[in-house]
This record gives sequence, C-alpha cells and structure tokens, in this order.
Amino acid sequence: MKVSYKWLKSYIPDIPEPHRLADIFTYHLCEVENFEKLPGGDFIFDLGILPNRTHDLLSHQGISIELSGLLGIPFKDPKPMYKAQVSKETNLKIDIQSDKCRRYMGRIIRNIKIGPSPEWVVNYLESIGQRSINNVVDATNIVMYDCGQPCHAFDLKKLSGEKIVITKAKNGEKLPVVGRDSIVAKLIDTDVVISDGVKSLALAGVKGGADSGISDTTTEIVLEVANFDPAAVRKTARRLELLSDSAKRFENDLSPTLGDLAMLELSALLLEFLPDAQFEDIVDMYPHKQIEKKLSFKTEIINKKLGSNIKNGEIETILKNYSYDFSRMSDMWEIKVPSLRLDLNIPEDMVEEIGRIVGYDKIKPSIPKIDFIPKENETYIKISHIKRNLVSLGYREVMTYAFADKGDIEVLASASDKKFLRTNLSDGIKKSYEFNKLNMPLLGLSEIKIFEIGTIFAKNRPARHASQGDAGGEEIHVAYADKKEIKEMTLDKFTSSKTKSEFEFSRSGRADSFKKQSISEEIRGPENLNSDEVKIFKPWSLYPFIARDIAVWVPEGINSDKLKSIYHEFGTDLLANEPKLFDQFTKGGKTSYAFHLVFQSFDRTLTDNEVNAIMANISEKIESLGWQIR
Amino acid sequence: MEDIPKGSLHPLTLLQEETYSVFSKLGFEIAMGPELETEWYNFDALNVSKDHPARDMQDTFWIKSPAEKEVFSGPRVGSPDREKTSFSASNLVLRTHTTSVSIRMLERLAKEGKDTGAFISVGKVFRNEATDITHEMQFYQVDGVMIGKDINLANLKGILIEFYKKVLGEDVEIEFRPSFFPFTEPSVEVHAKFNGRWLEMMGGGMIHPNVLRNAGLDPGKVQGFAFGGGLDRIAMIRWNIPDVRIFYQGDLRLNQF
Repeated sequence: MKVSYKWLKSYIPDIPEPHRLADIFTYHLCEVENFEKLPGGDFIFDLGILPNRTHDLLSHQGISIELSGLLGIPFKDPKPMYKAQVSKETNLKIDIQSDKCRRYMGRIIRNIKIGPSPEWVVNYLESIGQRSINNVVDATNIVMYDCGQPCHAFDLKKLSGEKIVITKAKNGEKLPVVGRDSIVAKLIDTDVVISDGVKSLALAGVKGGADSGISDTTTEIVLEVANFDPAAVRKTARRLELLSDSAKRFENDLSPTLGDLAMLELSALLLEFLPDAQFEDIVDMYPHKQIEKKLSFKTEIINKKLGSNIKNGEIETILKNYSYDFSRMSDMWEIKVPSLRLDLNIPEDMVEEIGRIVGYDKIKPSIPKIDFIPKENETYIKISHIKRNLVSLGYREVMTYAFADKGDIEVLASASDKKFLRTNLSDGIKKSYEFNKLNMPLLGLSEIKIFEIGTIFAKNRPARHASQGDAGGEEIHVAYADKKEIKEMTLDKFTSSKTKSEFEFSRSGRADSFKKQSISEEIRGPENLNSDEVKIFKPWSLYPFIARDIAVWVPEGINSDKLKSIYHEFGTDLLANEPKLFDQFTKGGKTSYAFHLVFQSFDRTLTDNEVNAIMANISEKIESLGWQIR
Repeated sequence: MEDIPKGSLHPLTLLQEETYSVFSKLGFEIAMGPELETEWYNFDALNVSKDHPARDMQDTFWIKSPAEKEVFSGPRVGSPDREKTSFSASNLVLRTHTTSVSIRMLERLAKEGKDTGAFISVGKVFRNEATDITHEMQFYQVDGVMIGKDINLANLKGILIEFYKKVLGEDVEIEFRPSFFPFTEPSVEVHAKFNGRWLEMMGGGMIHPNVLRNAGLDPGKVQGFAFGGGLDRIAMIRWNIPDVRIFYQGDLRLNQF
C-alpha cells in the first residue's frame, strides 16, 4: 500500500525523518517495497502490509497509531477536529437480508453540489497514485485511505425510494459497474448486492453500479459505510476479476467497529467541502456486534519462545506506548484487545508483538543441543549412491520438467499447455540427449552420457507410505541415456539390478557416508566459498554456433599450445570456448595436431562468411610460420 | 579399465548435498515425502485457512478427479475424521512447499511418543504460475523443523547462520525481519547479506500451536521452529545464475560447478 509521509506526519508530528522511518518499517513492521521522493517534497512508501495486519494497517491512521505505539510518540487524534453536522430526522430504511453483511450504516445528505475537490484532497490522492474524480467520490476515497474503511455514495434520485436492501443476487442477473471499461458483471446467487428493493445498485464491498453512481447533476446522496463477509467479497471479486481497493480491504476482514469512525470522518469531510449540505440522521443496522476480547500471557512464554531475556518493565512500557488497557498479576498479563486488532488472539500473538517491537536483532543466535537420534533415510541413500556410481562412469546429471502434454494424472487450470504429469523420465531425457548432442562441440564432449533421477506419476502406483496417508500415484525412477540406449527403471529395480554389472549397488559402507563427505565433495572437492576463486556461472549465447576443424602439420617438437595460442589470438572474441585437441600423430619428423574450434556470438547469428574470414586469418598466420594446413 | 572422464552433478544436487551435510552435522534427520500431496498435509494441517488465497487454482496445482477413483484410495490418516475414504480430486495437490514433509515428520514423532526431533528436507515443489526469470512451475525447497521442550527463535538464528555460512560463505550475515505465515507465530523473514547486499532468503518462525496440535503434539509441552525457502534462489545468488528456468531444460551447459 502507498503511504504518504506528509499524511502520516499530520497525525504524528514527531515522526522520524523518512530514511530512518523506512528502516523502522523494515525491522519492526513490514517490508518497504518501494520508497521515493515526490517533486513536491513528500516521500511515498510502498508498504507490503502483512496479511495478519491488513485489518488495521491499510490506512494512514492505522499506520500512524502503530508508529505512535512502536516509537512511544504522540498520535494526534483527529476526532475532536471533525466539525459536527446539524442533522434532521430521516426516512431512510435499511433492510439486511444477507448474513454476509455484518453492519450497514447509511445516511442521506441533500443539497449537494458536485464539483472539484479542494486542492489538499487532490494532492493527497495524487501523492498515493490515485486520481481525483469529484468532491463526493474523493471524500469516500480519502476516508478509505485515511482510516481503512471503504465507503460508497449513491445518487438518491436514482433509487426507487429511500430504502436500501442488502440481499443475494439473482442467478444470471446483469449489473453494469463503475469504471472506465464499462464492464457488465454477470452475477450468481452467492454474490451479495445492495439494492433499492427493485433493482441492484452495487456489488457489496466490490464495486458500485454504473447506474446509481454520482454524476455531475447529483444533488442528493446516500452514504454507505458497511461491513461484509471477507470470503464472500473475495469470491465475487475474484470470479468477476474486479479487484478494487474496497474488495482488497474487505477480503482481509475489517472490524465492523471501524464504521463509526469512518462515518464521522466522511460526514465531516463532506460538510467541509459542502457547507450548505443538509444532513439526515445516521441509520445503523448492526445485527451482530463484535465481541470484546481479552488476552492473557506470561512474561515467561515471551522469553521461552524468543530465547530472549525481556523484563516485565520493558513489556509494561510497550503496552503503555500502545495505550493498551492492561493489568498484571505478578508474571501474568491481561490486555483488552483493541477492537481493530483482529490478529491478536493467543499468547503466541503477543510473543510476535513483543518480538518485533523490541526487534529481532536483539535475539542472540544459539545452537541447540537436542536428545534425538536421526534415522537413516534409505531412499536418499539409494539416490545418493546411484548418482555417485553414474557420475564415476561419466554420466552427467540433468533435470527435466515434471509436466507433459499427456499422461495419467491431470492438473486443473494449468497456466501452461502441459497439463499432465509425466509418466516416465525417458521422454524428457531423450529430448535432453538430442539437444546436448547438437551442442557436443560447445560442450567439448565426444559423447553424451546423461541421467536423471526423479518422480514420475502414473495410475495404479501404490502409496509408498500408505500408513502416513500417501495418496500413491508416484514413483521414483532412474533413467540414463548414452549412444547405446535410453533406459529407465524404478529406483528399487535399479539398486537391485544385476543386468549391468558396473551399476551394481554396493550396500557396504553406506551408513553416514554423506556425513563424512558429500558426493559432490568427493567428485569436485569442497568449493572454497571464501577464496578469490569463487565459481561464477558462465552464461551461454542463445544464437547458433559454427564449428570448424583444423589440422596442421608442425615440425616435431612444437607443442600444441603454440597452435592454441594462435587460435585464441586470431579467433577473436567469437571463439566460444577453449580450442579442443582431438587428434595428434607424428610422421616423418612432423606432427599433426587437429583441433575443434567453435564460434558463437552473444548478440547475433554468425554467418559462414564471418567465420571464413577468421579461419583465413588463422591460416595466413600458420602459413607465415612455414607450417602446413592439412 | 579405460579412463572414463568423470560425469557431473546438477547444481541443485550439489546444493542439496551441502544442505543435507550441514544439517546432518547439526543433528537433523533427512526426510522425504510425496510430491502428490493431500490437501490435509499441504494446507489444513499447516493452519492455512479454508479460504486462504494460496489455495486458489491460480497458485496451486489441483489434481483433476481421475475416472478410477480407487487409484487414490487409502486410509486418510491425519484428517480429523480418520475414516477410510477415497481421495477425490478435490483433496489432492502437487505440494506447494516441503513444509508438508515437516508436518508428516512431526506427526511421526507424536506417534512414536517423542517430544524431541529435527528434520530437514529438500524436495521439488510446484506453483501454478506464469514463468519468467524468477518464477518457475517447479522448483526445489529446503524445509526444516526442530522441536523440543525449549527450542526457540534464537536457536533458529543459530542454526540458519551455520547453514548460510556453508552455502554462501563464512562472512555471510543474517537477520530476521517481521513476516507472516499461517503455520508459524511469531513469523520472520530471513535475510542474508551476500556481496554487500541484503537478500530475502526464506521464511521461518516458531511453529504455530495449531500445527503442533494437528500433528498430535501438545503445544503446552513442546515447542519448536520451522523454516523454508527456495533452493533455486540460493543457487542463483551463489553462482550468479540469471534465470531460474535453465535448471530444468536438461541442458548440460548448466553443469559448470
């Protein structure tokens, strides 16, 4: 969520400077996804509010209250500054017919004149990436970004009467919704709509209807400050792909108690914008009131879980800074949970609160000693041994996709066209073999030998650990490919196979082998991550390569390195890898060296002509030395 | 015997080996589990709410109901009803994390009547998302748990420092930042400083009491930590590999290490 520094400062005058604030967010609250300075001097934080705090932190007031508690600095409560409205009796009727609506507050306001918003409103909205629409719509949006409660305004004259009904939609009903793309939403009966008793006006918590919205000629409005079931809002919003800021807040669950503040703020703003507006009384239908919660925890659990040594005094300071209503009986604390903090339910929630407020950097690392004798993992030992054997026989490991375009087991709604799980490794390894065979000159190999060990998915495969509730349907296979064959079998078959003697699985000395030395260390030696020779990935070109062989007669006694350095010098940076000597013999006082040269560019497809020119330069150099190209 | 040039291992195998090696030395048991997982172990047992967005088809690969339902029949151990039932498509997924292995291991401890243990698993996981240089439909995750009478967050820090020293180098620094996961409380995001930059590496925290309860353990008597994160990401950072997709192309040019 985008947050304006200036907006926050209006609530917490002692707010730290922006860069320090960014660190405070990062280490005590949530990720700062982006941080930028606006030309006007304001700073904008894009905060990744955590899912358990979306109840109370998707707003400037919410974040200000949190910062005030976190830093122990004053929060300037805006409520006393809101101008009171003179209010008349109302005929507005609100009828909640859906259990997905937990509270609905409505208010009629007449003698409205739609027009532009005051400049500060336009600036506030634009600073957080929103655009100003008109004074009434802007007021509802300001309230949402300020206190977190989505609000809506209907044009009263477009309603059939002074009545609001919250009910389920009819199957197949169509509702044009507001927005630039003039979308018509097709509804089903699990969607909740706001209606006037005759027709639907809006999709509850998701989007307003196009026909009941505010226009330039609107003179009378009904305000909506309501609370809807998170799951219902989410389902509707996802199905219709209407991911509004309102839906985002409702689907994360908002406290119905937030309505009071929002209605107060919205009314005050409208009075400020429209001093001649005539307000009617608020109608508040709130069938199931949110229950007040208490939460108890011990100082001991905080320290036992965090591995810390936080004192009662520190906890008391934190609770005071957050203005919690609390009491303590020796080591036991009891707090009255603020109504917006739907995330605080169990003692562990307070462990997290104290932990993040104090700062996790205060937690000193320690290695535990535990009384536990690990069992050996037979399957892993088998896999390890097979890998070791295959690698010692010159096979190179590959990994291919678990997805295929046909198979026994299908996944739903895949983002890819491969909707099935592979039934074998052979198809993947065959493709890999053919692909790598084409690249043999690049790889500097004269033969491709590859293997994969992985899971295949097929019907009628029994569960490996039925007692642990395995679904079955999968099996670990081993497959290898070389110039003779592609072969695949189950892990167990492979380890017991006598058909290929060199793969014979030795069961001796297997215990703990990986503890002493991993296979990788055995093969390549430990990689020293702290030396200057840290290995870095060498990327490859996506363009085709051109390979050339060159054999040269040189006088006996001349080292092949002489030729190699010529190839390096004249091969230009298009020489893709180390020239590879593949043949040499000596006859009549002369030695013949034959090399593979591979050329490739990182930014284009090479032409024969380019490579011919390089080879001509090489030839010229060789001939100038009096050597002969064969 | 002729002199055969040695073959090579996939970079992710190299990292898997190092991971198992360091955690084995710290007393962890190597664990494995199914890739085709039940909704119970992948979500329910881990305290992921019924309407959590992670369960959406846009994020998770759900398995289509097969014609022969008995293929998946088996005792549904661990589910609250504990009755023998056929698995329909609605409760099978390609696991989205190997935390499913961790909860299976906690359940095993509970059945053995033990209150202490530590498990590490590195395995393939799946996400239903469009691929790009940092997203792939399949990748590897390292996931671990440790429980005991007083295993705490400071222990998690100690253990993870050992791990990152091994896979990223001795001078690595790590820090915890606030985070949220349904299966841990408190939850932290683990960042490591590598080549002068702080990078997000994994998630972790203290196992949520509901998860311990779901495994059959008593949260009043045992507590512990859990952590998990992508192995591919560690490989990309360590070796400066620019694109996650090249791990699964079967291209031998990748085997450089």
